[in-house]
Amino acid sequence: MARGGAGMSTPLVAVIQFPGSNCEYETKAVIDASGMQGRIFRWNQWRELNDASPDAFILPGGFSFQDRVRAGAVGAKERIMDFVVERAGDGLPVLGICNGAQILVESGLVPGWTSGSVQAGLASNHIEGRSGYLSRWTFLKVSDHAQLVSPWLSYLSGKVVPVPIAHAEGRFVFFPGDAGRIADCSALVYCDENGEESPDYPINPNGSTENLAGIMNPAGNVLAMMPHPERAFWLWQVPIRTPGEWGDRRISANHSTAISISRGPGELFFRGLAESLAVTASEET
Amino acid sequence: MSSIAIAVRLKAPDPAAATALSTMKRISPEETPDLLQRYDYWEFTGIECTENTVREIVEHFDDIVNPNKQSWSFTPSGGLPADDGDHTSAGVLVTDREDSISENWTAILKRRGFPVEKVMHSVLWIFGFSREISCTRLKSIVAGQAVTSRRDAGLLANPVSQTVRLILEEQAGDLLNR
Repeated sequence: MARGGAGMSTPLVAVIQFPGSNCEYETKAVIDASGMQGRIFRWNQWRELNDASPDAFILPGGFSFQDRVRAGAVGAKERIMDFVVERAGDGLPVLGICNGAQILVESGLVPGWTSGSVQAGLASNHIEGRSGYLSRWTFLKVSDHAQLVSPWLSYLSGKVVPVPIAHAEGRFVFFPGDAGRIADCSALVYCDENGEESPDYPINPNGSTENLAGIMNPAGNVLAMMPHPERAFWLWQVPIRTPGEWGDRRISANHSTAISISRGPGELFFRGLAESLAVTASEET
Repeated sequence: MSSIAIAVRLKAPDPAAATALSTMKRISPEETPDLLQRYDYWEFTGIECTENTVREIVEHFDDIVNPNKQSWSFTPSGGLPADDGDHTSAGVLVTDREDSISENWTAILKRRGFPVEKVMHSVLWIFGFSREISCTRLKSIVAGQAVTSRRDAGLLANPVSQTVRLILEEQAGDLLNR
């Protein structure tokens, strides 16, 4: 069956809406703005999702099932995730943002060292003098290996990008016995505007192991990240006092009419996916 | 050093417990309890910490117990709260391995002069079975639902970030402490 519906030429990206998701519409909007077609599927529309046969999946941010039991724990067990897990196994791109990342971790899709097993946790923020819910801008850089294998990260090579976070449980943790292979799943790390890493607040905002902001599965097609790239898609979304290249761009564009359409750092994630899907489509034809 | 534990629950039906029970029924319909209750479980430890100390803390801080919507009772440390029905019960105590809630409350109570050396916050899930059930079967069901090992197995705790303690009547032991 042709993916993306009845032979559609525009790649279809499914945005899965769980009860309590709250970023699905802006996520769909940036997919559309990236030249792909975004479509929101409710958590109980697994038949429709199957029929639509999307080219990629995004689990957006929010508070699925009100974070009851544990963030992402209930959403991970929904039937619609059967289909996402199956397609992830086929190599289709899957991105979990914030609460979506928590669902992917609870699904065992990432780090995915042993298929289906839950091998990581997104624990509550825990850093000296700071705890609880945190909303702020952070800087990210992509790991060397990830930029080569992840469809979401190919345009971030060598770049430091500001992207905001907003979470209470965003600290990636692993079993002590897995310490030796964390680097294998590292996709995005927190850093300062110059790309320097530190385990200290505010550079690492939540105490995440190895400063991890995002992890991926061994194949690289599944990415779970706590920062919100859809909230940094347009340049006007970047705070004007942001240090570094993107802050300079923001200041330069401040009095320009072009600022309303100028792309921000978060757009790089979606541009990478669009290019990846276009390449896939051309190979299939 | 003495430890005083309290269990706090909503006066109204707990939506988190309802969601957890319905999720258990969906993922493993044969392995579910008849009743599931959720408590916030607080343990206060200190050389001079007494029930009166804890009563004073509870009355002073409505972040721990909001009397408008929550009720509380003393609970045997490492045990189950008093049963309010004819159920055979077992408990699962879920604690974050690194928990800023516990650390913050320890700091707050020390700063306010309470004789408390350590506060530990956990979530206590009580499984209730109205049917006849063997201890082995009960333990199997509770253990199976307690730890999320796979997407389709277990629910209440992520073993990477949380510890789990299984509490049976008169019997407690570490279920998982990898």
